[in-house]
Amino acid sequence: MRRRWFFLAAFSLFLLGLWVLGARLGDLIPSESGRKAAAEFLGAALHPAMDFENPEMQDREHSFIEKLGRALWLTLRYALAAMSLALLMGMVGGVLGSRAWWSRSTVFLESLRVGVRLLATALRSVHEVMWALLFLSAIGTSPLAAVCALALPYGGTLAKVFSELLDEGESSAAEVIRVTGGSGFAAFLAGGFTRALPDLATYALYRLECAIRSSAVLGFVGIPTLGYEIKTAYEDGHYREIWTYLYVLLIGVVFFEWWGARVRSLLTRGVAARELGEEGSSLKALWRARGRSWFLRVSLLLLLLTVSGAWLVEDQWGAGVSWEQRMKNLDRFTGEIVPHPVREAGGDWGEFSGWLAAKMADGGAEALWRTFHLGTVAILLAGVVALVGVRFAARSLVSSHPRGVREGGVFWQKSWALALRAGAMLGRAMPEYILAFLLLRIFGPTVWALILALAIHNGGILLRLGAEVIDNTPSRASSVILAQGGTRTSAFLLTLLPFSFNRLVLFLFYRWESCIREATVLGMLGVASLGFLISDAKVAFYYDEMLLWVALGAFLVFLGDISSDLVRAKLRENGSVKRPS
Amino acid sequence: MLEFQSVGLSYGGVKALSGVNLLIQPGEQVCLIGPSGAGKSSLLGLMNGRLLASEGEVLLNGEKLAELSGKRLRERRAGIAWVPQDLGLVANLRVNQNVACGLAARKGLLGLLRSLLVMGRGEKKEIANLLRRVGIEEKIFSRVDHLSGGQQQRVAIARALYQEPQIILADEPVSAVDPERAKSLVHLLTSLAGEEGQTLVMSLHDVSLARRYFDRVIGMREGRIIMDGKPDEVGLEDLYRLDE
Repeated sequence: MRRRWFFLAAFSLFLLGLWVLGARLGDLIPSESGRKAAAEFLGAALHPAMDFENPEMQDREHSFIEKLGRALWLTLRYALAAMSLALLMGMVGGVLGSRAWWSRSTVFLESLRVGVRLLATALRSVHEVMWALLFLSAIGTSPLAAVCALALPYGGTLAKVFSELLDEGESSAAEVIRVTGGSGFAAFLAGGFTRALPDLATYALYRLECAIRSSAVLGFVGIPTLGYEIKTAYEDGHYREIWTYLYVLLIGVVFFEWWGARVRSLLTRGVAARELGEEGSSLKALWRARGRSWFLRVSLLLLLLTVSGAWLVEDQWGAGVSWEQRMKNLDRFTGEIVPHPVREAGGDWGEFSGWLAAKMADGGAEALWRTFHLGTVAILLAGVVALVGVRFAARSLVSSHPRGVREGGVFWQKSWALALRAGAMLGRAMPEYILAFLLLRIFGPTVWALILALAIHNGGILLRLGAEVIDNTPSRASSVILAQGGTRTSAFLLTLLPFSFNRLVLFLFYRWESCIREATVLGMLGVASLGFLISDAKVAFYYDEMLLWVALGAFLVFLGDISSDLVRAKLRENGSVKRPS
Repeated sequence: MLEFQSVGLSYGGVKALSGVNLLIQPGEQVCLIGPSGAGKSSLLGLMNGRLLASEGEVLLNGEKLAELSGKRLRERRAGIAWVPQDLGLVANLRVNQNVACGLAARKGLLGLLRSLLVMGRGEKKEIANLLRRVGIEEKIFSRVDHLSGGQQQRVAIARALYQEPQIILADEPVSAVDPERAKSLVHLLTSLAGEEGQTLVMSLHDVSLARRYFDRVIGMREGRIIMDGKPDEVGLEDLYRLDE
């Protein structure tokens, strides 16, 4: 890749984006009231609530801690139940969508495979918040709506990524089985699926962590998870309660990240078998000495129990609304999603194009354009932050022996690295939607709040991935520079950065696609973009318009997804880069 | 019995093999030797029907391999083991599970699934006995990626033997190990195949190993067989010229 052109294009896009979005630097300075609110809000961080802030609430039957526990349990429950469904969808879709599964290639089978992949991409193109809005509008508020809203896009994502993982370098073990007479199924099972299993589990665990964040965010559209409590506490001005909810969410997400990382490491590296001493080498003794991990076993058991609990504890998946009523709601919804000129013309779809053109001219095209730039500006900002931060966060550069060369003087280096890594972890753990909600209260109604929310979250992810890339880059040239008296920064800029540039750009594109997806809903917080139009249409019960904007958002994500895939495939070809996990 | 009748093979216009005539009798131990690109892997690929000849016929026990497909091809292949250059092991499975894959053709999908998930005591014993023969019995429940390169090669040999094949094809299985280890692995494979009366066809780079352990050496260059005979019948100088 020609780096100069890449930087020039990125910088131009960034400036164009700021212009399109109307983001002025002056808006970054909060107003007097904003500063006061921010100081009050941030000050409350040091005193999270342990009880209701409203004294009248303190005498109620259920304590604040019980309320908190219930919100957390619901957040986890919906995430776990949804992930169990998504996993099922992901496995079926992933296997059917992979080339490795189909031992023969005919036009029909190839069409089927491509169809499954397209369906998976389409499902994930609609953000879970949008799915939630659709389900809530169609069948009303119910736990099932929350679970389905999470399960569909996550199932699509898992299916797409699983099929890519299954296809990534089919093992020669599968070929051995096929060539020695095993069936295509046997070859896929033993040689392909088992090889990819640690990667599949790794990705599913990462997605579980994301599902917990998404489940919390669904609270903002009325599902009683942590997001709902954060929103209502903000509306009541109970800042200390908000911080309690935020801390609990952060602890939950960070715990799942730690747990997932531990499980990933055990699955990938395995556990070495115990050396047998005087016990002899009978088959029984060897079996007892085999490598096994109690951590993995207990984790699997707990996961099974909590997933079963998530499904079994709920006795009102339909929220007490009768099946008849639900069908009536659904019937009304499916009727109203048909564009009103088509309805009024007795189902004549000839009216559709005129209506669509009018809607696009009446703000739709502009919202689409703004949404694209919102995601792009945010990811570019996140990329710059991560690029600068990586130098100070990469372990191989901040140690007393950077790249194996003794340097010393590490106190500040390590302190910076620790602070950056902690900041990145918090940024990653906090859902963009909740961050944007809080930043809007500080900066006022400016698009900067959305840009910063996306940039903080994605910057945290890019910083971690970038630091890992730099740490794993085997560049002897950097050691030479350090051994000849160069600084850590010069070793980074002159050797490590150019060497790993393609990988870093690959991660940028990987997150760009997610940023675009997230940008489609952030407008629901009140800043003009597609999300704003969706929210507006929902309030007015214009379901036909709502569906149009949702479909446009999905279309934008779909385009982003495909172009990001193409660029990443090109970068992988050039630099043999592997998928980030 | 494997028979090649005027076999030629082309990949996208490039001739990998031409005019190959060959007869390998049951129980023979044959070494294919020649420089890289000589056509050894292609020849092995034709023997188990991985590749289809562009010209001529490959016959397995009198049956034309090119005419076999589906179940019949799988049945024939079940009698031919294959040890590829990269060994073809599943790194994150245990040794016993990898060896069990050798019987994938006979077990069927459910049998294989059972072996991978809950292997029975009888099968474990059988595999342990086999691993004792290749010298790594104590590693039976270790993950393959925790083993050394030499131990992994023994797992691949055990998997091939577990298949109880009539023919074993091995494509440069010792190319990545030091000369001492290569010697012991070739010795192991030739002696085990010899004990069972199995046909062994192995491609190698090392002339001294070919001379020491095989009944018959086939020298190849540029897709053609240029010498074929007992190691002491084939001129030493010719062999070394091939190795250059």
